[in-house]
Amino acid sequence: MAQEELNQAVSGEYTLGFEIDIEQDTVPPGLDEGVIAFISRKKDEPQWMLDLRLKAFAKWQQMEEPHWGHLDYTPIDYQSISYFSAPKQAPESLDEVDPKILEAYSKLGIPLEEQKQLQGIAVDAVVDSVSVKTTFSKELEAKGIIFCSISEAIRDYPELIQKYMFSVVPMTDNYFAALNSAVFTDGTFVYIPPNTRCPMELSTYFRINALNTGQFERTLIVADTGSYVSYNEGCSAPTRDENQLHAAVVELIAMDDAEIKYSTIQNWYPGDENGKGGIYNFVTKRGICETNAKISWTQVETGSAITWKYPSCILKGDNSVGEFYSVAVTTLAQQADTGTKMIHLGKNTSSTIISKGISAMKGQNTYRGLVKIGAHAEGARNYSECDSLLIGDRCGAHTFPYLESKDPHGQVEHEATTSKISDEQLFYLRQRGIGEEDAVSMIVHGFCKDVFTQLPMEYAVEAKALLELTLEGSVG
Amino acid sequence: MKLATLRDRTPELIAGEWGLHPDRIPALEAFCALPFPDKKSETYRYADTQEIFDTERTRIIPQQGEVAPDPRRVVIVDGVVVSAPDGVAIAFEETDAATKGHFDPLYSLSHALSAPTIVLHPTEVDTLEIQHRYTQPDALLAYRIRIETTANTSVQVYESFFDAQATGSVILYGIDVRVARDATLRWIKNQTLGSTHSRVFASHYADVGENGTLDLSTYDFGSGQGLATLEVVLDAHAISSLHHLVYATEQARRGTVSRVIHRGHHSHSDQVAKNILRHDARGIFDALIKVEHSAPKTIAHQNNQAVLLDEGAYMASKPQLEIYIDDLEASHGSTTGQLDPKALFYLRSRGIGEEEAKKMLILAFANTLIDRIEDKVLREWIHQSFEAVYYGQSHVACLETCHGCEENALGAFSVNS
Amino acid sequence: MSILEIKNIKANIGEKNILKGLNLSLEKGKVHAIMGPNGAGKSTLSKTIVGHYDVDVTGGDILLRGESILEMEPEERALEGIFLSFQHPVEIPGVSNAYFLRTAVNAKRVHEGKEELNAAEFLREMKKTAETLGMKPEMISRSLNEGFSGGEKKRNEILQMQMLHPDVILLDEIDSGLDIDALRAVSEGINAMKDGERTFLVITHYSRILDYIEPDYIHVLKDGQIVHTGGPELVAQLEEKGYESIGAAG
Repeated sequence: MAQEELNQAVSGEYTLGFEIDIEQDTVPPGLDEGVIAFISRKKDEPQWMLDLRLKAFAKWQQMEEPHWGHLDYTPIDYQSISYFSAPKQAPESLDEVDPKILEAYSKLGIPLEEQKQLQGIAVDAVVDSVSVKTTFSKELEAKGIIFCSISEAIRDYPELIQKYMFSVVPMTDNYFAALNSAVFTDGTFVYIPPNTRCPMELSTYFRINALNTGQFERTLIVADTGSYVSYNEGCSAPTRDENQLHAAVVELIAMDDAEIKYSTIQNWYPGDENGKGGIYNFVTKRGICETNAKISWTQVETGSAITWKYPSCILKGDNSVGEFYSVAVTTLAQQADTGTKMIHLGKNTSSTIISKGISAMKGQNTYRGLVKIGAHAEGARNYSECDSLLIGDRCGAHTFPYLESKDPHGQVEHEATTSKISDEQLFYLRQRGIGEEDAVSMIVHGFCKDVFTQLPMEYAVEAKALLELTLEGSVG
Repeated sequence: MKLATLRDRTPELIAGEWGLHPDRIPALEAFCALPFPDKKSETYRYADTQEIFDTERTRIIPQQGEVAPDPRRVVIVDGVVVSAPDGVAIAFEETDAATKGHFDPLYSLSHALSAPTIVLHPTEVDTLEIQHRYTQPDALLAYRIRIETTANTSVQVYESFFDAQATGSVILYGIDVRVARDATLRWIKNQTLGSTHSRVFASHYADVGENGTLDLSTYDFGSGQGLATLEVVLDAHAISSLHHLVYATEQARRGTVSRVIHRGHHSHSDQVAKNILRHDARGIFDALIKVEHSAPKTIAHQNNQAVLLDEGAYMASKPQLEIYIDDLEASHGSTTGQLDPKALFYLRSRGIGEEEAKKMLILAFANTLIDRIEDKVLREWIHQSFEAVYYGQSHVACLETCHGCEENALGAFSVNS
Repeated sequence: MSILEIKNIKANIGEKNILKGLNLSLEKGKVHAIMGPNGAGKSTLSKTIVGHYDVDVTGGDILLRGESILEMEPEERALEGIFLSFQHPVEIPGVSNAYFLRTAVNAKRVHEGKEELNAAEFLREMKKTAETLGMKPEMISRSLNEGFSGGEKKRNEILQMQMLHPDVILLDEIDSGLDIDALRAVSEGINAMKDGERTFLVITHYSRILDYIEPDYIHVLKDGQIVHTGGPELVAQLEEKGYESIGAAG
């Protein structure tokens, strides 16, 4: 395939780059204790939360930005970012939500109402710093399930928040987590009571809209003993020339016999092919599994200029299970350094890692993963498979696993391959009359299949379409 | 001298304090530009850097003198070449020629501290045996060797180490080798370290020319602490074949850290490591394959297998691929586990006791890397080294103290074999 | 009437010149067989016709219904009705057999100005066809050729052939690696396609397959050229006396 055609094929235009024209309430750029107090006040938070924020801010100021990732970017000026932006009208119910926001969501294929309701999915939507709408709360309440914005949870469920927030990702876990702890503006809180199976998919949609704004959401999911929940998040941002920072924290707690399935479709604005603009995505996601619990992370990462994220599992309880399924695409000038950490502490714990990296144009894609089998994790097992697909000769694919085992009864297995789309496969499909771009897309889908099958059905369709869009450009 | 005094110093300051020749400044600059080795640096994570850097040791500066003739090998005692066979040209080079950009700070440091470089060029022989002997306790010794090869030739290098008297010493040594175009270098390193022996930090660099082949096999046995780092750069059609066998016991710490860089097109690398860890031994396999944009049609494969035999054993495995071209074939695999329970059961069902069955499987696991040595005598020799440690016999000590034994074992390995 | 005309074609694979001015005319509705020793250029010939990336055409022309196809992309040649049953069909993990074939069938239908088949219609037809070839139902949903046995792969090639309705069918060593049952199923599948309109080019080293698919013409390929053309009686002569007995290349 000629290089120009290939480039055209893989430079799918970012179609979610529109700006929502709504009135914003935004603080001027800059970060100090005053801004943090302002955020806390805007959120109507209790004093204890503000104290925690200020504590995190003090620690953050003493920390250094990490640079061990295989990433190259212009330094972030933390004083040029605005740390709070909200639509001016705070909506109380769906009827009050600015019609422009609703329109924006349907443009994104996320109609808050009909469609998702028909599909039985409860949605929380976050624009910039504020949760604008949570659907289905009433229906969920009947089962004792809490699904609300984190700001509401801080006001309404202080005991749960005080008990679990920072319990999986301590506020000083890393530089970006500390920043998030100080300035987080919104996010989602989920609590599933014991022995309850959440009857529907829960979903949050994040969007950065305002100019010069960072997004710092915080998500906390607590699945009590014997419960089950499947949670999905999606994200997008308008096309802008300058970089915007997204530093989120997600904490999952799966108590004994509980299961959490967490799926992400990340489609932040990736910047252009010269590396101009795009989201800097520095995210900390971690879950803890008690006895017999299971946490499964699935991510499809197609956006962002820079991605730095490692959804992890601490397998603390015996027989607990951690899973990580990932498709990461870097095209244009995108860089991703992503993977997972599986920390085996309990006996007979097991983890599976399936990572598929696709690099095209000038994209640099790095898998970085840690598997650690502790000395007491007798009989622990891990299997990792990390494959990279390269399209074009200017991109890069890197695989950096760290495999550490202290257990003579355990088993750690890692396999990785790096290759381009085989000429033979491409030719076979073309001989059957399938056009070149369709053939490439078919092979890429095949490559990602093991991950897509982990997504809930509606999201698998979305992920597939997104991948096609990202990689195929005009091909429909 | 304490190595810790190197921390936070400028190259000029170090050169002054350690009395180094000004031409070592570039090597010191390279050393200072990299993070100072400590627990936080991946490469030295398990190397007990504190003890190594903070302990006062007597620095030995090798003084090269007359080289006596030797029927078969180059003998280097505490960094001084004492004897060598006829067919090996020996030179001592005062000016240093460290390769820039080596990832290991101790590579640059050993270049800076060593003087002069020992240059070995096997001109009329196709085997080069190097015997390293360390005799001083609590010493700090740095020396470097460069091996030259001639285009279109094939050379076999065999390295062995005798260090039982060098308790508490830290040895920084390493080999720089240039494999000429169309040349082949087969390099076997056989090192058994006891817990009371010296700590050996080897840092190597190999530049493999067009169509050249580097075939390196390392055999690391015993309970001591050792770390070997290696950077290989491959030109077009060059081949690198690396094999590492580690059998570590007691409190051993053994690290194999490598960077294989594919710079030329059609270059080919494969790497196989096997770590067998007993007691509280720790093994580190940290190996990067980098395929640069200039290296299309590269083939690179890497595999690491580790067997943990006891509760205290610990393996850290970091196989890495860093790839900047699409037209290639690359893979790596890593497994850490125990002996295959099915195989074990099979043997036991045939009436073989559990311990004996385990031994059979361990030997079988190790033998695949030992049996690839073509030279029968060398192969037998490695087998003996392995079994000496495996069965706990003082075979190695015997080789060292009893010359009859040593001559006997080595006798069959003639320079012309 | 000739449907495919190969005129003085010269082709290289890498640096090596394989086809050295080969001439061949395929008559519409007939079964042609190309026989020749190893290394004669049989596989290169089929690769040249379908536009394989390994082949570098240095001279001559190939005409399909009188039009040159040399400038056409592989998929364009396929849509024009050329089908190659590969000697070694490639495995494509993660791409289901049904999804792949439906894409191919609909590409062909769109090319012919027909409506695309929906999933249900397509699956019905695919299942029916697979059944007649003695294929297990699960082959439909499995990944394309992945983990298929030699026989299963060849049956899958025939399945695709039957679903795509090509006009010119190239069968490259279709019988290699087949046991007698598979060979019978595969040749029945091929014979079912014979309708007096379709043209076949059977490329083979051994005459065994020609007991099942009766050829109208035999062409002997040696050293990159067709050195002899005859009727089915030529098979017996080749069997008996070998390729040496046929005149040397000019």
